[in-house]
Amino acid sequence: MLLKLEGVTKRFGGLVAVNSVDLEVEEGEKLGVVGPNGSGKTTLYNLISGVYMPDEGRIFFEGKEITNLPPYDRTKLGIARTFQIPRPFGSATVRENVAIGAMFGMANAGVDEALEMADDMLKLVGIYDLKDKEAKLLTPLEKKLMELARALAMKPKLLLLDELLAGMNPANINEILELLDRVKKEENIAVIAMVEHLMHAITKFAERVVVMHQGMKLIEGPTMEVLNDPKVIEVYLGEKLNVG
Amino acid sequence: MKSYSPLITLLLAYLIMIAIGQSIPGMWQPVMLVIFYIAIGQALNVFLGMTGYVNFGYVALLGVGAYGMGVALGYYNELGLIPTLILGFILAAILALLVSAIVGGIALRLRGAYFAIATIGVNEGIKYLIMGAKIWGGSEGIVLSGILRKSFGAETMRFLSTTFADAGVIVVAIATGVVTAYILNSRLGYALIALREDEEAAKVMGINVTKYKQIAFMISCVLAGLIGATAWTLKLTYVFPQDVFAINYTVEAIVIVMLGGAGTLLGPLVGGLIYALLKYYLAIAFPGLQLLILAPLLIVVILLFPEGVVGYIAKKARGTRLENFVR
Repeated sequence: MLLKLEGVTKRFGGLVAVNSVDLEVEEGEKLGVVGPNGSGKTTLYNLISGVYMPDEGRIFFEGKEITNLPPYDRTKLGIARTFQIPRPFGSATVRENVAIGAMFGMANAGVDEALEMADDMLKLVGIYDLKDKEAKLLTPLEKKLMELARALAMKPKLLLLDELLAGMNPANINEILELLDRVKKEENIAVIAMVEHLMHAITKFAERVVVMHQGMKLIEGPTMEVLNDPKVIEVYLGEKLNVG
Repeated sequence: MKSYSPLITLLLAYLIMIAIGQSIPGMWQPVMLVIFYIAIGQALNVFLGMTGYVNFGYVALLGVGAYGMGVALGYYNELGLIPTLILGFILAAILALLVSAIVGGIALRLRGAYFAIATIGVNEGIKYLIMGAKIWGGSEGIVLSGILRKSFGAETMRFLSTTFADAGVIVVAIATGVVTAYILNSRLGYALIALREDEEAAKVMGINVTKYKQIAFMISCVLAGLIGATAWTLKLTYVFPQDVFAINYTVEAIVIVMLGGAGTLLGPLVGGLIYALLKYYLAIAFPGLQLLILAPLLIVVILLFPEGVVGYIAKKARGTRLENFVR
């Protein structure tokens, strides 16, 4: 068991953003988290990465309790994430951005080593040509790829992708999915990908899916089974999904 | 892109300044003024430039550094000349370290502007503590010229307050540059860039932002303390609380950092040159009106180069052969 959430709850005033969620993620697993806007997906991510501390419940990583661990310590244990709206270190170059991931993530690399790792990661995601550009000058898509490179440079055991694929065209999506597949095989990283609408992508990517609804876990199970479940279709998709 | 080669530019600039000061009569005083301003800019830059946090209590660190040296020379001079001086530098560093550990430990838990507000009181607080509690001579300060003449002789005193003090300022100024270059090339430097740009994201990227802010703050403050010990106590041979806790130095240091380019190695050099020379020569050319003329000039420069002069040049130099020497 890599990650385990037990009855995790987060409230913002009267609003229960995440309500008593249990979740288990195995090493090297590919899990999809889907749910409509406001269903608590991002809050869940913030709880796992340590941006928020839960009001109730406990979180374990590799059997060790991390419920009250600050985010930078969780990173060192092997949790990395991307942001829904990319958050590059704007005035630093793309290469420096990725190197910062390598330096302070689980990889814990020295400066020179980190810069070399950054080059490798940028080649991997295909934006090596942009390495000397200031990160704030990238297009939204390039920023997302840079965030992916930065997260991968941290050498995590668990990678949280927050709407990474949103706004990409189908060709890009396929490339990224292939890339994730390759990385996953090589390094055995567990990946949790969160999407709002890209159901086709999630069917290609995830072995298992968790559906969030109003802060609660509505259902979880094998991808196709879950996405065709009448409950899911009712609250979320609205109509039966035809994949093919 | 990052390396130590911009340091060559910095050291060359110091060499040229010293050469000008030594060879042209009447130039030593303005050169030392420029170097002093570069040094206080450089030391502040380690914190302000790299973290984006404004320390309005900055001059208090120069002040306690000045007191560290003043206390050693004034109260412990029976140790002999060299041990007293060493003690003075150690006291200056320790006092600055203590103040920065306490102030940073509390105020750095605040974000951005709130930190700046919290530090405003530090300078006045320490000043009135020394004056009110009559610590180290209270508001009368420590007057060293008589003590030094009695203990070490007039000749030594003159040497201390001229050649030795100037050399001390130059050494500390160069040291702040070397420290800055080292930080820019280290993990610390990258952590500071990250937290300056986006503190929340930096945390999630594994950076203990409070720790790195505190380290940068303490380095900046100790360097400031050493500048106070050399440029004020040794050079002026007195320490008056009203003089060493004068807030205008904080403001001038901030202007120098912003003018030259926050977070760059050469920024304080360029900012200090522009600021000190303008201030010095405007005061000669238009006595009494210098600030009236200086202020709009500074506004023009800041408008032309919002990222500072060096920030602007470094961007232009990217991809050219100059790139490695401007940062």
